[in-house]
Amino acid sequence: MKRRSFLASTAAVGAALATPRIAVAQNTKVLKFIPQANLSSLDAVAGTQYVVRNAAVMIWETLYGIDANQVPHPQMCEGHTVNANFTDWTFTLRDGLLWHDGEKVTSKDCVASLTRWMARDTMGQRIKASMESLEPVDDKSFRLRLNKPFPKMLFALGKSNAPVCLMMPERIAKTDPFKLISEYIGSGPMKFNTAEWVPGSKAVFEKFAGYKPRPEKGEWLSGGKIMNFDRIEWIIIPDAATAAAALQNGEVDWWENPISDVVPLLKKNANLNIDIGDPLGNIGSFRINHLHPPFNDVRARKAVMMALSQTDYMQAVAGDDTNLWKTCDSFFTPGTAAYTEVGGELLRGPRDYEGAKKLLKEAGYNGEKIRLIVATDVAITKAEGDVTADLLAKIGMNVDYVATDWGTTGTIRAKKDAPSAGGWNIFHTWHAGADCINPAPYTALDAGGDKAWFGWPKSDAVQKGIADWYDAPDAAAEKKALEDTNKASFDNVTYIPTGFFLQYTSWRKNVSGVVKAPFPVFWGVSKT
Amino acid sequence: MFAYILRRVAATIPVMAVVALFVFSLLYIAPGDPAAIIAGDQASPADIERIRISLGLDRPFLVRFGSWVWDVLNGDLGTSIFTNLPVTHMIAQRIQPTLSLMAITLAISLTIAIPLGVVAAWKQGTMIDRVAMVFSTLGFSVPVFVVGYVLAYVFALSLDWVPVQGYTPIEQGVVPWFLNLILPSIALGLIYMALIARITRATMLEVLSQDYVRTARAKGAGQRAILFVHALKNAAVPIVTIVGIGFASLIGGAVVTESVFAIPGLGRLTVDAILRRDYPVIQGVVLMFSFVYVLVNLAVDLLYTLFDPRIRY
Repeated sequence: MKRRSFLASTAAVGAALATPRIAVAQNTKVLKFIPQANLSSLDAVAGTQYVVRNAAVMIWETLYGIDANQVPHPQMCEGHTVNANFTDWTFTLRDGLLWHDGEKVTSKDCVASLTRWMARDTMGQRIKASMESLEPVDDKSFRLRLNKPFPKMLFALGKSNAPVCLMMPERIAKTDPFKLISEYIGSGPMKFNTAEWVPGSKAVFEKFAGYKPRPEKGEWLSGGKIMNFDRIEWIIIPDAATAAAALQNGEVDWWENPISDVVPLLKKNANLNIDIGDPLGNIGSFRINHLHPPFNDVRARKAVMMALSQTDYMQAVAGDDTNLWKTCDSFFTPGTAAYTEVGGELLRGPRDYEGAKKLLKEAGYNGEKIRLIVATDVAITKAEGDVTADLLAKIGMNVDYVATDWGTTGTIRAKKDAPSAGGWNIFHTWHAGADCINPAPYTALDAGGDKAWFGWPKSDAVQKGIADWYDAPDAAAEKKALEDTNKASFDNVTYIPTGFFLQYTSWRKNVSGVVKAPFPVFWGVSKT
Repeated sequence: MFAYILRRVAATIPVMAVVALFVFSLLYIAPGDPAAIIAGDQASPADIERIRISLGLDRPFLVRFGSWVWDVLNGDLGTSIFTNLPVTHMIAQRIQPTLSLMAITLAISLTIAIPLGVVAAWKQGTMIDRVAMVFSTLGFSVPVFVVGYVLAYVFALSLDWVPVQGYTPIEQGVVPWFLNLILPSIALGLIYMALIARITRATMLEVLSQDYVRTARAKGAGQRAILFVHALKNAAVPIVTIVGIGFASLIGGAVVTESVFAIPGLGRLTVDAILRRDYPVIQGVVLMFSFVYVLVNLAVDLLYTLFDPRIRY
């Protein structure tokens, strides 16, 4: 080979390699989105992680779907009939529903899906507890008969709180509800591209050509889910600075949850929009173990509450931007019908450290170590933990600050052992405001003792309030039940709310149609 | 030689066995529960316990270890607890970005660090030497993530020459592949360059004071020939050793670099798996890394024979 021909052929090979092979057709409409966390699994019935729920509602649909006012509307259903006392329900599927593999959606699929969901969801478990039968009537209809009225049926079927009542093909829905599914076939507007899934890096959703949107306007989980993209790519960027740079550079179109540190930077960029993402926000939680001294005595729990300043917590969690937080003398989400401050007096007014010390003494606290578990790898829990350590020291408590990660916190908090034997006294978390709009999805509010959420609070008054809400025939009765529940929860100090905070979402200005919701709503979003 | 290679490869088996037992034991005693993570924050303790049972995490240590070893011996590294994907598939997805990152890092590091060390030794005590050693000290001192952020800010965000993050497979074009990797490679390679430059300088200083170098000069050999033909070849053994040892720090650095630049490599897979307590993935990746590390050391030992014919196995 001569020198010139060698150079020419080398250059040709080089040029061929240098030319990008376009993996995605050029006219494909793609939205690139940074989710709040890694999508490590994809079963929103077996698991309750929000990021999984957010992906799942693109792939699977619900029989009913809530709108922005939490009102359920028919989604996969054409409608339903129900008797006067809400015990005999018949649901009919709408025409044209297809699974992503091309098969028709049938009532058998829905019966299997409901059965799986009922094993995991608190509302589902209540339905199951009074269920006499659940069976297909024909291919498009199925009947659910109960021995007790359940007026909140449509909300249960259409709520956005995990576990969401998602419909799956019968063969998938028959998976053990405590095992993750491994086939991701839904009937929603987007199909999951399993081949392109690189967990921890990328998840791809492709428009499902067989999806027929409802004629109504799409809103949250209800109405016509019109997708303006052929592909939605979730790009997982764990580092906030990198995510901010990628958004500014136009490498991604939308970032679900920018951390507060980078918000000022994003606000300065003329190409970006930034606004509150989820109007229902979050409620911070000071979770107490009710099983062991000193907090097995309600006086010790009240002592902490009378000294706790939500302002301190919220400044630590969300900074000085008061658009992002407010105090919240309630267990329920501010701005919703459920919000009530009845019983929250102890959280208001000047903080009383001396009173707290006195009450602790009355409760028999004698300087024992208080094991405070702090997940330092999560900014919110780290901030809450630091404020708590300071607060407890101020009221004379002997703090054993256990700095660990969230995974380990998950293990420790499940232990009922005494703190001195590896158990715990306090840990922190937060609850999505969407889960605190009523007692149904609100696991942390339950005060059923041994069967309650971590901390195992026990209060018959709280449980009665929750039961009354379930049975409430009208809005007034619901309101009364929520007030009773709130008061009883404060009297019992089930946990201590540390305040209400919001988070921003940010997207490029060539993207439109982003709405405020507890989850990213992709239908109706477009890009120029 | 062939017998030596066979012996060394065979010796990886007990090494891997010890690594496997160590990693498995460590994960067994480490706190953390994948069931709690799968279940999510709203799940009840009873739900989490049911998930633990369904995952087989309630089984005794020996049963779990025996079952895992049996699967590994049959070529099955298991299935991710979270994604239900085979661990081998997840590793295969991630191996190209990590190998690419390491290859470019290695190429850049050796291309810059060895000449830098040689020139610093040649010009010992001069400004060139001092600048080279300041660069080397900086390379040691500045953390990878700081270098990464600065590079990304200057070359990606301000100048817009390269992307901020991500990875383009080489099949989709060499140029985009290279552009995605150049900043991470520099960030990752800086400490490696510093290490190699310092060792090269020190070794070259020792070699340059040898009699045979003086003889070469006396015979009229040019400076370039003395430095790169006579001296460097004889200084190569310690340099190759440090390149091999530095490979471990390269793996560690890749974890941070891949996170900063959002590269879907094995480093990020490891971190994600550890944070989620995805035991099969952690075990699989650590086992693979230890195997690669053993092979790199074998390659280093074999390279000795190339640079120093007196070494025989």
